[in-house]
Amino acid sequence: MSLEFAYYPGCAAKQVQKEADWAARAVARELGITLHAMPQATCCGAVSLRESKPAFSLAVAARILSEAEAQGRHLATICNTCLQTLSHANYRFKNEPELLEKINSVIVQAGVRAYKASINVYHLLWVITDQVDPALLRQKIKKPLNGMRVAPFYGCHNLRPAEILVAKGGESADHLDRLIQLLGGAPVAYNGHDKCCGFHVMLSDATEMRTMVAKNCLSAKDAGAEVMISPCTLCDMAMGAYQKPAENAVGKEINLPEMNFAQLLGLAMGINPDTLGISRLHVDPSAALVARKVL
Amino acid sequence: MPVYTFRIQRNQKNAQGTLESRYQEYTLELNETTTVLNALEELKGNQDGTLTFRQSCRSAICGSCAMKISGRTRLACKTHVGSVARDGVIELAPMANQPVLKDLVIDIGPFFRKVHQIKPYLEEGPEKATTVERSSYDQVNHVTQCIMCGCCYSDCTMKEVSEEFIGPAALAKAFRFVSDPREGQKTARLQELSEPGMMWSCTRCAMCIDSCPKDVKPMEAIVKLRTRGMQKGFVDGPGPRHALAFHQDIQKWGDLNEFTLLQRTVGILGSIAELGTALHLLKKGKIPSPFPHQAQGVEQLQKIYKLLEQNPIDVETKAKEVVPE
Ligand code: SF4
Ligand code: SF4
Ligand code: FES
Repeated sequence: MSLEFAYYPGCAAKQVQKEADWAARAVARELGITLHAMPQATCCGAVSLRESKPAFSLAVAARILSEAEAQGRHLATICNTCLQTLSHANYRFKNEPELLEKINSVIVQAGVRAYKASINVYHLLWVITDQVDPALLRQKIKKPLNGMRVAPFYGCHNLRPAEILVAKGGESADHLDRLIQLLGGAPVAYNGHDKCCGFHVMLSDATEMRTMVAKNCLSAKDAGAEVMISPCTLCDMAMGAYQKPAENAVGKEINLPEMNFAQLLGLAMGINPDTLGISRLHVDPSAALVARKVL
Repeated sequence: MPVYTFRIQRNQKNAQGTLESRYQEYTLELNETTTVLNALEELKGNQDGTLTFRQSCRSAICGSCAMKISGRTRLACKTHVGSVARDGVIELAPMANQPVLKDLVIDIGPFFRKVHQIKPYLEEGPEKATTVERSSYDQVNHVTQCIMCGCCYSDCTMKEVSEEFIGPAALAKAFRFVSDPREGQKTARLQELSEPGMMWSCTRCAMCIDSCPKDVKPMEAIVKLRTRGMQKGFVDGPGPRHALAFHQDIQKWGDLNEFTLLQRTVGILGSIAELGTALHLLKKGKIPSPFPHQAQGVEQLQKIYKLLEQNPIDVETKAKEVVPE
């Protein structure tokens, strides 16, 4: 089966969280997933554009989805917020033909191909857990996690609203847990697994955001987590880069290595840590990885 | 019939008035489709008369039986035991983010005080419409099915860390009045809703959409409130400035420019405050480039933007008309 996708990494993976993009490309290559570039794709506008310019945000989404559709491919992303934004627009286009027509009538005037609402929006994680043959994945695991206790941090926009997502969402989502098991790790059950990383209020409610990060990380640590993984570049930024500020805000040490799911998957596949950008992580995972003989 | 274990949080105030909390287990043989509320009554009637919980309508109407059931806040009378048991165990606890009185009963007072803060009644004023169309209620109707159960408030991720935040139900209620043609103070309401701790403090986590037993979708109402607030010119504050920066960036560069985004969102003072964190990012070579790469065909977006400014189109979701059966 050929797994070909129009690849939409999102703004964070193109700039601050480049390592997630490197890791995604590296693991995709190993697993026979081809990620095709989308040269015309812009930022999806995230949750903000939907608020400031609702019609424009749908037009931006339609233009992105249309580019993937013109390639004859479904779209795959590695950012939860891009996933939710594009899924939300796509859900509406599929269920509200009049809305799609209205938006198409505007974008065609600007020379954009009309969108026919024929494609799906996936997260690369879902592709790996639901479409790649588990036997192939197992065969690629060169450095199993040897029972490492890994906290899955799903991120809101990978789960909710459940109705707009093509994969199992809400409380029934288990893809990250299944991935950890496939890698030979033990998924940690903890309170924060489906909570919010706070990224979207990082600037408006700074203290609250840091408290969220601390609570999520500490609940994972208390449940015995050695490492935390997330499928989202923005969660990575919040739970990883902001872990120090979060420690300062609550006056407690956390020290929980956090990384993108593709980075841990890549390590388990034996891919070079430099290719995966492991040194760019804010909480050094080396000790945890060495302890389980992954490094 | 399967046997279920109920792990119930028992809460009781001691002589000093502090709450003591412990878990107690009970087992019951039940049909999978028995409701959690019926199970609780069975326990109270036949095993432990001291077990305290609230209930009234038994039909998902009054909202009084809301409690944490296997991790999420749900109505006990609407939840089948089979759908929430994990390996035969059902965990029950009182709602979160609210003071606990006894066992599964919380003080709903603070929740309602937040709702009252938004003045949950129509006000006289200059913006009151004199004629009302049938379609005028297609926004109001989204939120009128709220039963004030507090499920959303209990699961809200911002409420968990913020005493101040007004919460999803009150904001959904506020939208009900802002979008009501008969309301006379729409703009004044939007101004108040733009204050700290109100609509801009929502993280957009969508938990309230999944938690609501009545499909009110509070977060969708919050998104619409923000749009209306910005349209009325309430754009002073990190929330709206961030939202506005997005469409400027997208038009110009095609991609979001994280460097200027930060500056425009928090302004100069905020940028300095953020600098500590920025330096932290710098150590990892993570300061975003002020010159993001430009996508091909961005001029298309500029064109689309202009077209939409000249001929705005209404893309708001509309509530289905409620027709009596
Ligand atoms: S979307 Fe906003 S209001 Fe709703 S639960 Fe999340 S933070 Fe609370
Ligand atoms: S919005 Fe839904 S969950 Fe929140 S109080 Fe109303 S009915 Fe309950
Ligand atoms: S008892 Fe009234 S809603 Fe459950």
